[in-house]
Amino acid sequence: MPVKTVYETSIEHVSILDEHGKFDAKLGEGLIPDEDVVKLYEHMSVCRHYDEVAFKLQRSGRMGTYPQNMGQEAASLGAAYALQKDDWFVTCYRENAGLFWHGLPMEHVLLHWMGDERGNEIPEGCYCTPLAIPIGTQMLHAAGLAWAAKYNGENRIACTFFGDGATSEGDFHEAANFAANLDLPVVFVCQNNSWAISVPTKIQCSAPTVAQRGIAYGMPCVQVDGNDLFAMVKVIRDAAVRARDEKRPTFIEAVTYRLGDHTTADDARRYRDADEVEMWKKRDPLIRLRLFLDERKLWTTKKEEALQASAKEIVSAVVKRAEEIAEPTTNDIFDHTFAEIPPNLRVQRSTLRTHSLGQDPSPLRDTQAASAPTR
Amino acid sequence: MAIKQPADKSHFILPDLGEGVHEAELIRWRVTPGETVEEHQVIAEMETDKALVEVPSPWAGTIAKLNGNEGDVLVVGSILVEYGTGSKAGAASPPKAAKNASITAKAAEANGEREDAGTVVGSVDATLRVSDAFTRRRHDPATATRTGKALATPSVRRIARERGVDINAVAGTGRGGRVTASDVLAFTGDGNAVATPGRTAAAIPSPPPAPVTLSADGIAERIPFRGVRRKIANALDRSVKTAVHFTVVDEADVTALEAKRAEYGRVLGRKISLLPFVMTAVCRALRIHPSLNANVDDEQAEILIKGVINLGCAVDTEHGLMVPVIDEADTLSLLQLADSVGEVARSCRNRTIDRERLVGGTFTISNVGSYGGMFATPIINYPEVAILAAGRAAERVLTKNGMFYAGVILPLSLSCDHRVVDGAEGARFLNTVVKLLEDPETLLGD
Repeated sequence: MPVKTVYETSIEHVSILDEHGKFDAKLGEGLIPDEDVVKLYEHMSVCRHYDEVAFKLQRSGRMGTYPQNMGQEAASLGAAYALQKDDWFVTCYRENAGLFWHGLPMEHVLLHWMGDERGNEIPEGCYCTPLAIPIGTQMLHAAGLAWAAKYNGENRIACTFFGDGATSEGDFHEAANFAANLDLPVVFVCQNNSWAISVPTKIQCSAPTVAQRGIAYGMPCVQVDGNDLFAMVKVIRDAAVRARDEKRPTFIEAVTYRLGDHTTADDARRYRDADEVEMWKKRDPLIRLRLFLDERKLWTTKKEEALQASAKEIVSAVVKRAEEIAEPTTNDIFDHTFAEIPPNLRVQRSTLRTHSLGQDPSPLRDTQAASAPTR
Repeated sequence: MAIKQPADKSHFILPDLGEGVHEAELIRWRVTPGETVEEHQVIAEMETDKALVEVPSPWAGTIAKLNGNEGDVLVVGSILVEYGTGSKAGAASPPKAAKNASITAKAAEANGEREDAGTVVGSVDATLRVSDAFTRRRHDPATATRTGKALATPSVRRIARERGVDINAVAGTGRGGRVTASDVLAFTGDGNAVATPGRTAAAIPSPPPAPVTLSADGIAERIPFRGVRRKIANALDRSVKTAVHFTVVDEADVTALEAKRAEYGRVLGRKISLLPFVMTAVCRALRIHPSLNANVDDEQAEILIKGVINLGCAVDTEHGLMVPVIDEADTLSLLQLADSVGEVARSCRNRTIDRERLVGGTFTISNVGSYGGMFATPIINYPEVAILAAGRAAERVLTKNGMFYAGVILPLSLSCDHRVVDGAEGARFLNTVVKLLEDPETLLGD
């Protein structure tokens, strides 16, 4: 019996605007109108400032843990720009730029990290999901949301973000399998920033690309320069068309780098080479976008000054809104999970006591919760 | 969890700088009392057990008081900085606060240039540049000249030398800041201008000082206990004050073992140090004498005999002594031990070792002999109860059955906590280790 090749594949890498500002006109011309590039640059700058302020809020005790986004803004922003406003945007926690573009009010992310549940209360008409901190859960949510959209005959798709580390978890493989086998309109975007906290990608993925992890599920897979806004817009657009028109998922590996620590509880200097960080600082998506604007004479020093001033104003107003929100009530911890609160939680809500804290609520149960027997 | 700061902005409470951090060491103040700071301006550098971090001011204001000295360990929740009336006034009521905030925003805009520089390409450079200006201490004139070499004529230098005065510490009043003879005399109290009684002692002729730059009290450098050095100091202090140390020493004839080690080297094509052999012997001996494989719980007044053997290995690093632990060392082969030792030593030296790997030891080995020395009185890695130091293996003339022969001995020093280990048991344990090292067939046999 002769040996024959039954399957062959290759992974393409897409890059349009490189770190030196070199622009591939063949791929990129007309992709984003100039006035939109300006807007995206401004948005990205504001998000960068937001990120720095958020970091300092944590350090001065005004906020809990915070994961810095610095350096990874282009991946989610390019996606948000390429999607429609009523497409699902299902993120983890390093997609602030995309979330804000997609319509999430900026104070929500601060509220979340300040430990206020209302940060995760997504406003009506905003198709974002709460920040997903446990690694991997949101990819399954995206598959489910896409399935529901397809089932209801809606035209929306779901675009989900996760890190390189998440692709080593079962959740990713389950979500990918579901999406591919049920023909669901999902765009999987892996932000490969080389580090799953302190674990380098190369020791948890033996394949040369993370992108090829999607091949096993029969999905089109592509690798893209995740710090290149133009390339991101292109690959997301292609994937969105495939999802919307053909109900087929796509797997995108966006190669990027976080310039800060994993979170404010981390010190990346303990495991990353300074040289590596320096190299990636030069690949900052903000720098190359500025080079592009300069090249096309779309930007001036004066505009930059004005932008920085207004970034400060915007962010300080956002911080003020987040900090001056009315204090949450204790009921908050009960109110956001169940549409109808189960009886045992109703007892806890009325007594503010739990068994688990060693406080037996039984003396109060008879009087205050007679109609709600515990199970 | 974020800490609730006072609404009147009168003081800044040290927050949790990471996640579940309870204390932090103050490395450096970056502001001085009386200084006006902007919101987000870095006021201090602090080190938690996870990272060295910059602590920014949560609001704009005037610094009234800094609580804590550099090197102090401050507890989360304590007051770090007190602010003066400058910020208090604006924050009392919400409408005023709003007004204050907008003023602050304006001020920030006015100062936009230096902050903006960091906004586009990452904050680090700009922040450091701004704050560097604040780190420079105001020197008083007397110490200001100490940083550089003093200008003075040879005759003035001789006068200073004769009086045992460091001329670099004397403030010069002469032309271009030159130190004059009367400056030196005034400094020692000899001059007419300043006659401080307390200083006259310095005028007593003293032997010529060594030709190095020393301050008057002869101290070249004052180094506060910080970081790893502080941890080492605290741990050793606790051990010596708690455990009752006794040390027993012996020599093992490792002539045969050395031959075996050379053979291993030839077969494997790489050198194996003596340490993994000693570790193997210690694991075997601990199985026979389990009372040395223990921890002490002084709070509960209990001896905890350990079922697993986790061997600590003292590692010398440029930051100081570290003791990584090799878990379940008795389950590892000789070569696995050799590899583990190499790996943990490396990660100690480049400081990538996890905290978890620095705790949980049941017995510690120090191979101080790789640096030199014969016997030692090693300090127990508390709450362990025993530690073995291996000295430098050396060639000796030995005797056996009335015959001389050239052999290699390995000096061994065992310290035990006498509260837990009796002298006889310590000696028996050491004897077992020696016997095993002298009989490589048994040591490596099974």
